[in-house]
Amino acid sequence: MAVLIDAMRVLSALNVALLIGLGYVWGRNFYRFRSKHTLGLLVFAVLLLAENALSIVFFVFNFEGLTAWVTDPSFVPTIAQQAMLTLRALEFAGIAFLTWVTWD
Amino acid sequence: MEAVLWYVLTGTRGGTNRVRILRALDERPRNANQLAEDLELDYKTVRHHLDVLEDNGVLQDSGDDYGAIYLPTDQARHHWDTIEEIMEQVE
Repeated sequence: MAVLIDAMRVLSALNVALLIGLGYVWGRNFYRFRSKHTLGLLVFAVLLLAENALSIVFFVFNFEGLTAWVTDPSFVPTIAQQAMLTLRALEFAGIAFLTWVTWD
Repeated sequence: MEAVLWYVLTGTRGGTNRVRILRALDERPRNANQLAEDLELDYKTVRHHLDVLEDNGVLQDSGDDYGAIYLPTDQARHHWDTIEEIMEQVE
């Protein structure tokens, strides 16, 4: 189901956008405060950003033929794509909530 | 309390201004209007930060509505070394 893959792509892109925002706030604060607490938040944002950026590479660009493989329903059945989408959606919900409290 | 202080003051977008507000109130208690003027911040911004700091148990107010004076809570005083550690980095 192409729509499931598209939804995953959209959620990954939204995660990247939110994580850039969080990375900006925490990076600026780390520059200012130099505390390990802020560094922890910054490292968290950078790693999760890398995860979502890689996901975009895997699902959008035909990386080493991987994209064709993961998007083909005969290799990855719909139920597996739904499961992957659920994980991505939960991650998005978590990041969105964290952005809301951090933007304070 | 310590984790709350680190998050509210260094983990959020408005942290830097909240640190400035705390420092001003440590010098002497003031109301929202005086804070806005002394720190050259928008009144609504100051109000928002005061509410956040009150919600998190860092500040308390004298309860006189618009003229309410703000000052650190006992709990914040108890952890003042943490606040000082954070304040040292601002300005």
